[in-house]
Amino acid sequence: MGEFFDFFLNGLGLGAIFAFIALGYTMVYGIIKLINFAHGEFFMVGAYVGYFTLRDLDIERVDLPQPFPIMLDFLVAILFAALAAGILAVLTERLAYRPVRKAGRIAALLTAVGVSLLLQNVARQVWTANVRPFPDPKIFRTLDEVDGPAGTNLYADRDFETSDGDVVVETQLVVSQGETVDPAKRTQLEADGVEEVYERVTLSPKAVQNYVLLALLLFAPILWLLVKKTRMGKAMRAASEDADAARLMGININLVVAATFFIGAFVAGIGGVAYIATYGKVDPMIGFLPGLKAFVAAVIGGIGSIPGAILGGLILGVTESVLPWMLQKMGWDAAFAWKDAIAFAFLIVVLVVKPTGILGKPMREKV
Amino acid sequence: MAAGGLLTLAIDLGPDGFWWMNLLFLVAIYAMLGLSLNLINGYAGMFSLGHHGFWAIGAYGAAWFTIQFAGTMPGPLVFILSCLFAMGVAAISGLLIGLPCLRLRGDYLAIATLGFGEIIRIAIQNSDKDVLGGSLGLAVPRVIMDVNRESKGDFRVLMVGVAFAIVVLMAWGIRNYIRSAKGRAMLAVAQDETAAGLLGINPTRSKVTAFVIASTLAGLAGAIYAHYQGNVTPLEFGFMEMVKIFLIVVLGGMGSLSGCVVAAFLLIFVEQWLAKLPPEAGFFKDWWQVEYAFILVLLMIFRPRGIFGPREISDVVRSLRRKFSRGAAGENS
Repeated sequence: MGEFFDFFLNGLGLGAIFAFIALGYTMVYGIIKLINFAHGEFFMVGAYVGYFTLRDLDIERVDLPQPFPIMLDFLVAILFAALAAGILAVLTERLAYRPVRKAGRIAALLTAVGVSLLLQNVARQVWTANVRPFPDPKIFRTLDEVDGPAGTNLYADRDFETSDGDVVVETQLVVSQGETVDPAKRTQLEADGVEEVYERVTLSPKAVQNYVLLALLLFAPILWLLVKKTRMGKAMRAASEDADAARLMGININLVVAATFFIGAFVAGIGGVAYIATYGKVDPMIGFLPGLKAFVAAVIGGIGSIPGAILGGLILGVTESVLPWMLQKMGWDAAFAWKDAIAFAFLIVVLVVKPTGILGKPMREKV
Repeated sequence: MAAGGLLTLAIDLGPDGFWWMNLLFLVAIYAMLGLSLNLINGYAGMFSLGHHGFWAIGAYGAAWFTIQFAGTMPGPLVFILSCLFAMGVAAISGLLIGLPCLRLRGDYLAIATLGFGEIIRIAIQNSDKDVLGGSLGLAVPRVIMDVNRESKGDFRVLMVGVAFAIVVLMAWGIRNYIRSAKGRAMLAVAQDETAAGLLGINPTRSKVTAFVIASTLAGLAGAIYAHYQGNVTPLEFGFMEMVKIFLIVVLGGMGSLSGCVVAAFLLIFVEQWLAKLPPEAGFFKDWWQVEYAFILVLLMIFRPRGIFGPREISDVVRSLRRKFSRGAAGENS
């Protein structure tokens, strides 16, 4: 039972990431009926921006008691990631989607696929195709604060001159766990130019999962309020009901669409940071499969529906995690290699049984 | 294994000729895929994103068949039988996938077929090494002729010829099909399913038929492709290929058969040309995939209804000629 529960919680964590991405898919689809294939790339760019923020900005240095610096670090990373993804989405909408909006849905869909390909390849050129490991949060200490046997490994960033004369920063292990830091050691470190050391905090996957779920629980009601209670939300709902009528009522459709793209990608950016924290890596292709699956989640939940996207994401995550585990228990050893196929098969079953998804409104046939 | 006397020409293509032959072959394959997808997405008014799956099924079907039977029969016979086998497998999978999925409409159908395309790829990737080769793929024995240094050129020329003959036959067959009673019924269903149903057309049967025919033809393209490449790997049949096929259909002008072939040529030419840029091209070489994607986006923004719109090339030529002769007449008067 314990093992089942682990897989279930794992699935919920994964599902929360799907839900973060699926929200943008569902909102955009609700308004302009476009399967925005580039949405996964907004997520990927968000993940990269979050990665660089965590790695390079050293927000953990802020002078507060632990764990506030680390929390602040993540909050800033999430904010930057979400803003970057949102701005990218608005630019994409303005430059690529708006010109083809009148040309029919298939042209728009293929433009979206083209943009997705474009962003993937740009990311590969700019950030290289290498898989980058997640930068663990650091707790900084000055040398004076270190005394006696070190509780964990302590590292320092030091400048090294390469043979080409370039100066690169390298992380070096300066005190290993258990080593005693006495005045002699301190003098030696100071002589090496080390003034400050830090320990790396490895996040436990369970804690990350809980935080991701918590973030979803906090964010979903905000989004719901935004759509149900604000003027912009009302305009969005009107535009999704009937864009032409909404325009005649004085709603600026272009603004509404841009806002929808921004909010959708903003949420996906949050999902990007959640993804790198959960999986401990980032690379230019992470937008593809999670993006596709998040779309699957949006369809399963009923596309166009915000609660549906969250429900669909969680259901898909749990299915993808628990079902292969069950199949493996039943004697199918390779079940986990097939988990993506299982997710798609689940989608097809849902579509065939209830074509509009779990919370989708039934389509009425007009004669 | 010289099949007929004409295959001993020892054509020397040289590096450029080799590249062109390869390009033309790929154009023919993508034209076949585009033509068959046109039947679903262009004429039948459905929306499939799983066509690459049937291509993969055809390629793997032919590869498997050839491995089983190479050497037991004359080579060309194995080639033909393997193509038929591939078409049969693709047709059956088209039927199995089509029956449940074609109840769905529009984007839902697109997503369901996309799911199937991915499932097929994952299934091949995880397959047993001894059956379908798993992620390493399968090597396809050469059965039409021995491919060595001398006959390499002959082989390319022969395959390009075969592929284009199939493209022409396919275009002709599809044109005849859509002008037949069944084809017109299909067009009617695409226009308005309810109205067509009231006229006594069975919409489900009409749609499933179109889907199965298109899958079969994609399977044939896969078989020819497998024999030409000499090996098949699951990575060749990713979603990106689906995107290319669909782009060819749209840029050719949905429902235009000749436009489809022209679009296949343009798209594959741009891709292959960018891919073989020499290192001296520097920036342009390094960023070629970005440039390719950028061109695709620009094409969609500026020619969203296809390069020539939904017209056959003969119509385009006729209207151009009319325009020019009118212009000339205008100057005279």
